[in-house]
Amino acid sequence: MTILDTRPSTPVAGAGGRPRTRRLSRSSDRPAVRIAAWLSVVVLGAFAFAPVYWLLVTSLTPHSAVFTYPPTWFPANPTFDAYRELAQNPALFTYLRNSVVVSAVTAVLSVVVSASTAYSFSKFRYRGRRSLMYLVLASQMFPQALLLVTLYAVFAAYGLLNTYTALVLSFTTFTLPLCVWMLKGFFDTIPDELVEAAKVDGASRMRTFLTIVLPLAAPGLVAAGLFAFVRGWNDFIFALTLAGPARQTLPPGLVNTFVGEAATAWPELMAASLVVSLPVSAAFIVLQKYLVGGLTAGAVKG
Amino acid sequence: MSQMFQNTELTRRRVLQLFGAGAGVAAVAACAPSAPSSTPTSAAGDPTSAEPTMAPPEDFSFASWSLAEDAPKAVIQANLDAFAADSGITITPASYPYNEYLNQLILQVQGGQFSGAAQLDIAWLATLASLGKLVDLADLAEGRGYTASALAAGTFDGVQYGLPWTAAAIGLVANSEVLGRVGATEIPETIEDFEALLRELKALGGGLIPYAASTKVAQLKDVQVWMQTFGSKLVENGEVTIGDDASVAALTWYKKLYDEGLVAPDVDRFDARSLFAQGTVGLYDDAPAGRPAVLKASPDTELGSKLLPGARPVVASGDTPRAQAWGHTVVVVDGPGADTAAQFVQWLTSDEDVVVDYFTQLGLPPTTDAGLASSEVAADAFIAAFTEKITATASPSPFWVFPNYGQIDSAINEKVQAALIGQQDPATALAQAREAAQGLIG
Repeated sequence: MTILDTRPSTPVAGAGGRPRTRRLSRSSDRPAVRIAAWLSVVVLGAFAFAPVYWLLVTSLTPHSAVFTYPPTWFPANPTFDAYRELAQNPALFTYLRNSVVVSAVTAVLSVVVSASTAYSFSKFRYRGRRSLMYLVLASQMFPQALLLVTLYAVFAAYGLLNTYTALVLSFTTFTLPLCVWMLKGFFDTIPDELVEAAKVDGASRMRTFLTIVLPLAAPGLVAAGLFAFVRGWNDFIFALTLAGPARQTLPPGLVNTFVGEAATAWPELMAASLVVSLPVSAAFIVLQKYLVGGLTAGAVKG
Repeated sequence: MSQMFQNTELTRRRVLQLFGAGAGVAAVAACAPSAPSSTPTSAAGDPTSAEPTMAPPEDFSFASWSLAEDAPKAVIQANLDAFAADSGITITPASYPYNEYLNQLILQVQGGQFSGAAQLDIAWLATLASLGKLVDLADLAEGRGYTASALAAGTFDGVQYGLPWTAAAIGLVANSEVLGRVGATEIPETIEDFEALLRELKALGGGLIPYAASTKVAQLKDVQVWMQTFGSKLVENGEVTIGDDASVAALTWYKKLYDEGLVAPDVDRFDARSLFAQGTVGLYDDAPAGRPAVLKASPDTELGSKLLPGARPVVASGDTPRAQAWGHTVVVVDGPGADTAAQFVQWLTSDEDVVVDYFTQLGLPPTTDAGLASSEVAADAFIAAFTEKITATASPSPFWVFPNYGQIDSAINEKVQAALIGQQDPATALAQAREAAQGLIG
């Protein structure tokens, strides 16, 4: 019977007298495993990026060749006509500006409100805390469309239709629950002893929250902010219903412009989709480490 | 220490109580009715009135999905600008994507957020009219030369709510070059010959779809026209007749085409246009509004000359071919500016220069006798043939008179598809469809 030696590797004297540590071989060192891993990465990456590539190809394809069968991976006669159309359509820049404003304000508001709420859930103990937590979670189960008619009536009564306020408030409504839960998980990882130590040193609750807890929770705040930003950026039905032409954001704006009664302007739609996704993609690339950290915070106890 | 903690707990409780009370007050306030509209809403209101009106023109809004689309946008905006300049007013445009247009317009009209003129698909008239906010335009329709069938499309419950903007039908359009490969020069008259043509086209191979009929659930309403072709009335005196022998025979025939590969699975109107544009389809169903989209998407610069509209085949020679009416109408939602909006609608839909220019730019047939008789319209061979062979015998869907016709269509379409894909036999599927549709009608 072979007894598996689980002792850590022991130093072995080498030719020069210096101890050499004998490495235990790992399965990942085997060529077959590495090849399989890289193959999986390539396949999954192709699966993820193929639609993006197709989006780019379609944006460079003339209208008459979009539905050519069999399809070609490289357009025979690439053209920038679709991008030229975009540049000549001033309405698209209005949609882009509206999307940036609404999404950014939604992200900030969501982070501010959800951070306060999550901190309360995480660090305070009071009657009704658990009920409130589950209430916040339960609100996530309502289909957004169900809230739309009610919100429309409320905003109409208060004269808020066709304003940034209506969009920001409605977007914040459905991003808050998940932001709260995301940040609560993050705040749970911050030791209570830190908060107690600050209290002992004479810091008020607000000071403790602002100067000690929030900086430690920066990755979580960034993750929640990014999540709220993307939710606001991608929303269609609320933006279509609550915003007029002057406040329309990109999703309804693009559909309104390029999806018609009889046909869809696919090259222009793909070009516009590619262009407007660049800011969000850039933000993700810059902030991705915070996003991963924020999403996995609290996943492992202790 | 514990007392401080108790005080804190009480304070928090008080805060929560106050918060709850505040939320309740806000909820009650939100339930308050919205600001009343400035004018009484009456479907019988007559914006023109018999007595001469000295009221100055007022600003109004114009809702149209076409205002967002590249081709029609410039034409419609020019008309808005011309009328606004002539009247010294401002017309505020409002636009929503076609697929979301009706829902958005209903929300706006019900909420009192919209008044003025609005473009409508003729299928949507009953749904919007049922809100009770549309104005009767009968007086404005008199003496303007609208065709009887076009006017009928803008009528609901005996009231002329809409003035017709364009009218045609959804009918069969063939590729004459593809038909020519099997020696056919026109769409056959009878269903038997039509089937034979489809089999000959199928035999050409090369991935050619003989008939790009609608087989996606959302567009299976086209089957209803085939049911009418086979003799079903669909609805009679408020009773749904789907499930009768004629409709079962129609669906059985349609399923036969599906099983033999003479129609393709999972095809809707957009798909059919794209496939037809690529020259891989023999025939498909469309309205004249689809022509520009097909020609733009086609690498064949001569496709326009190959478009061959034709009457839907009939069961027996001599029967009247069936087609579903198609068109746009413009209604007026009561409120500030409704009178001026009504004058605009009359001008937009019946002024000869305006309607002929609309046709010249967009290929959408006018709805007035003068417009149809104009040299520009008469010179368009495709429209002339379409009007003669298809539009002449077109009729609206009998389900359009119900405000919830969309739900009725969906209920029927789902059962039709169940039969197409073999989940149910046609008779059982249509019996269930009848039951579902009747339940929605009441």
